[in-house]
Amino acid sequence: MSERAEPYLYTLPAVLLIAALLLAPLLIGLSYAFRDITLLDPGSGGFVGLEHFRELYADPSFWNALRNTVTWTAASVALQFGLGLVLALLLSRPFRARGLVQLLVFLPWAVPSFLSALNWAWLFNPVVGPLPHWFASVGLMSAPENLLADPKHALWGPIAANVWWGIPFFAITLLAALQSIPRDLYEAAAIDGAGPWRRFRSITLPYLAPTMAITILLRTVWIANFADLIVVMTKGGPADSTQILSSYIFTQAFQRLDFGYASAIAAVLLMLLLAYAALLVLLRHFLNTRN
Amino acid sequence: MAKCLPRLACLPFAVCLLFTACLPPAAANADTTLKLVEVLTSPERTDTLKGLVGDFEKQNPGVHVEITSLAWSSAFEKFATMASAGDTPDVVELPDRWLSLYAGNGMLQSLEPYLAHWSETSRLTERALQAARAVDATAYVLPYGLYLRAMFYNKALFRQAGIAAPPATMVEFLKVAQKISALPGKSGYCLRGGPGGLNAWIMFGAAMAGNNAFFKSDGSSTFADADWIKGTAWLVNLYQDRLAPQDSVNWGFNEVVAGFYSGTCAMVDQDPDALIAIAQRMKAEDFGVTSIPKGPAGKAYPTLGYAGWSIFKSSTHKDLAWKLIQVLDDPRGNLRWNERVGALPIYQGAEKAPLYSDSRFKGWFAELADNDEVPTFMPTDLPGFAYFADSLVVRTSQQALLGQISPEEMNRQWAGYLTKARNKQLERARHE
Amino acid sequence: MRPRLNRSAHATLHYALIGLYLAFALFPLYWMLKVSLTPDDLLYGEGVRLWPSRITLQHYTSVIEHSQFPQFFRNSLIVSGSTALLVTALASAAGYGFSRFRFRGKLIIVGLMLVSQMFPLVMIVAPMFRLLSPLGLTNSLTGLVLVYTAFNVPFASLLMQSFFDAIPKDLEEAAMIDGATRFQALRSVIAPLTLPGLAAAFSFVFTAAWSELLFALMLNSSTAASTFPVGLLAFVSKFSVDFGQMTAAGVLALLPVCGFFFLIQRHLLQGLTAGAVKG
Repeated sequence: MSERAEPYLYTLPAVLLIAALLLAPLLIGLSYAFRDITLLDPGSGGFVGLEHFRELYADPSFWNALRNTVTWTAASVALQFGLGLVLALLLSRPFRARGLVQLLVFLPWAVPSFLSALNWAWLFNPVVGPLPHWFASVGLMSAPENLLADPKHALWGPIAANVWWGIPFFAITLLAALQSIPRDLYEAAAIDGAGPWRRFRSITLPYLAPTMAITILLRTVWIANFADLIVVMTKGGPADSTQILSSYIFTQAFQRLDFGYASAIAAVLLMLLLAYAALLVLLRHFLNTRN
Repeated sequence: MAKCLPRLACLPFAVCLLFTACLPPAAANADTTLKLVEVLTSPERTDTLKGLVGDFEKQNPGVHVEITSLAWSSAFEKFATMASAGDTPDVVELPDRWLSLYAGNGMLQSLEPYLAHWSETSRLTERALQAARAVDATAYVLPYGLYLRAMFYNKALFRQAGIAAPPATMVEFLKVAQKISALPGKSGYCLRGGPGGLNAWIMFGAAMAGNNAFFKSDGSSTFADADWIKGTAWLVNLYQDRLAPQDSVNWGFNEVVAGFYSGTCAMVDQDPDALIAIAQRMKAEDFGVTSIPKGPAGKAYPTLGYAGWSIFKSSTHKDLAWKLIQVLDDPRGNLRWNERVGALPIYQGAEKAPLYSDSRFKGWFAELADNDEVPTFMPTDLPGFAYFADSLVVRTSQQALLGQISPEEMNRQWAGYLTKARNKQLERARHE
Repeated sequence: MRPRLNRSAHATLHYALIGLYLAFALFPLYWMLKVSLTPDDLLYGEGVRLWPSRITLQHYTSVIEHSQFPQFFRNSLIVSGSTALLVTALASAAGYGFSRFRFRGKLIIVGLMLVSQMFPLVMIVAPMFRLLSPLGLTNSLTGLVLVYTAFNVPFASLLMQSFFDAIPKDLEEAAMIDGATRFQALRSVIAPLTLPGLAAAFSFVFTAAWSELLFALMLNSSTAASTFPVGLLAFVSKFSVDFGQMTAAGVLALLPVCGFFFLIQRHLLQGLTAGAVKG
């Protein structure tokens, strides 16, 4: 019995917990998309089919939020990953005070998002923060003004806060992955005359690939759903220029109290993320079979 | 294999056991427990509340009141989640904006039978009773105070700009704002472009229109009228002429008040409860309170809000809950409460109390005594008003301030939404 | 001559980049520290200065003595520590299972784990509250730990899987041929090799649980069961944002995390010895 049952024994505890506490509420939440659920209204709850999805298709705020979500997610993930990888590489070779440096650069991750958002909003505010004055003196801005009030560029404020907060995530996980690459592979390659870029491409990258894939996938999914920084720093404004799908869902759910519509938008977001995940898995499969 | 299973399973159980042991012990045996939820929480206020509740518990031995204090910034979502799951208290602090939601969904107990037998009911002011009966002409809430808008102004900045007296009309207001904005790094008006800014749009719109009727007799909204549009355009021009700080387009309550007491902008329209925060951070001789500036018709329409106490229909101790509200809201309790909260009194003749004869409240009582200042209730009883005020108004007003849409367009959208809401409300009334 | 020049130029570049990262990471934290030491009346007047003209420790004493922060910290420590332990145990098991076995339903299970991360938490909170309330798991630290564990296990499992993937199967197969059971092989041969991965997963989950706000806020209303991010929200009242006390509390909260990272970093930086893998 043990051979067949082994994998299930290893994975079952985790699966049971997730099924009970996450998947059950998720399915219930998802079912709202097909019903008319107005919070606190005892008369609501009827089945409405695809009504919400039709409404969503015609809603310009939805498309605006979708566009912003793509910008927000792509920029945040690209910058977090790129900068995080460089940091992991820098930390992977020993140097003096490495432990202390590692501790210090990981600290942003420990700050609750809401506090970090308020802190960054403070930094961007010309009355109390230094950043607008620095931007003005460097020429990025004509006068010290608040980036968060400029509809064209406001999204970059939360993106900056997000990158600051998220670099440690990639740095920690990629660093741990880097640590498991045997040193002698590098030595052998060096003896064979391979330069640093060649070594990176043929030794480091393949070893990092599994970790990279999972961290990028999950980080993208989380960031797409992550509205805390935006809600605190700009509340979605000005004029919805920083509204992303996840903050729009929050508005629909708790201001219009229309949980049905909010759930429909969440369902669309879920579909898009699933498609993205499938794409990533296919890509990895393709690269693996090539090698 | 048999070895690892118990080991794997033990760990989560052990962990669970560990802190069920760590949890605080269940409340001591009390005969009855009343649940009270406060939502406009601040640490000093909670202390006062505990004091009043302590008096109640002394008068009613065997009764324990469990106070839950929700952080205001997330109170609405939190309470709505709890209420929808059936986790309802006996007594809740209810802001005016929440009334139509909870009363409209039949979750609140009507207080009329209690008011009919209460000795203090006759001492309540007309306005307080009107506020209590906003939904279905039935009292679902007992207000503890009224919030009347007035204009705070920074005397120090006025002195600096050489302005002798605060503006009494909108024309003077503009002139004053221009003079202050000419000072380096300062602005005339602390505009609230973010959530909660609806009050200002309504006040200036109504002042321009010379009346505060939100709906015409046929049920359509007055917002699309030319005069209301003039009010909107006036405020939009004020922002675009840089008489308000550039980032005020996104300012909420905290930013507006902080902008005022930091001296960034010289005038802000606010309720008396902001007085406490401002008085803590500014010297008394540096700020003053005056009436809302009047429009071309010689009248102004300061908005009136309120908060109070309600009983949930699901409560199993309704009479006891009413007793608690009496302690919190009878003339003595109300005065003690308002000392901390800073709202205007609900009882007739309260202006004579030492708290209110203080010079800080002079501005509001002068405003109340002025016949050309007409306190106006916002239509918070409309279904869907919260979404209107917190989402539609914010988005469209920001678009208008930034020049993405015209004032006409913004008012047209508002009128469309409000007319629909009004029709829904009238239909609901017809069906009952 | 050339190799030597390259090496020192390399080292300088290395240190310069590290310096840049340090500056970027620490500047906002420095600003938080600065605000926490600024007296209230100077907060706006001297806002832009790099250091206030007068400092005060009043915010720190208020937070430690007059607020309920000591209790919030204690709750946060209990919740974060328990969550990290539980998740690491469950995720290592699951990650190992995914890495070493092919079994029916594996794709579905991994898929479900991924899907559980894709739905916005805002929509899950209300049904979850309704689910946990009758079980008495709202207003309790236990409930919070279970919810956090459920939410963090998918990522930790997949992360551990990627670490196990990097270790060749022949290692435990060799040990099993020598007579050990798979679990014994896992414990004595494989696990030590994944110590960096375990440390990474543990520290990630600990800090994620430490700073989580939404569930802590929505599932708890009593102060006895509140964690520290919820406590921070109390500084945002209707009338003002008490930045001084809030940043003081934020700075204080970084201390346990610093201590935690200090203990963990040795494992994070441990490299493999050359011989173990070759065999």
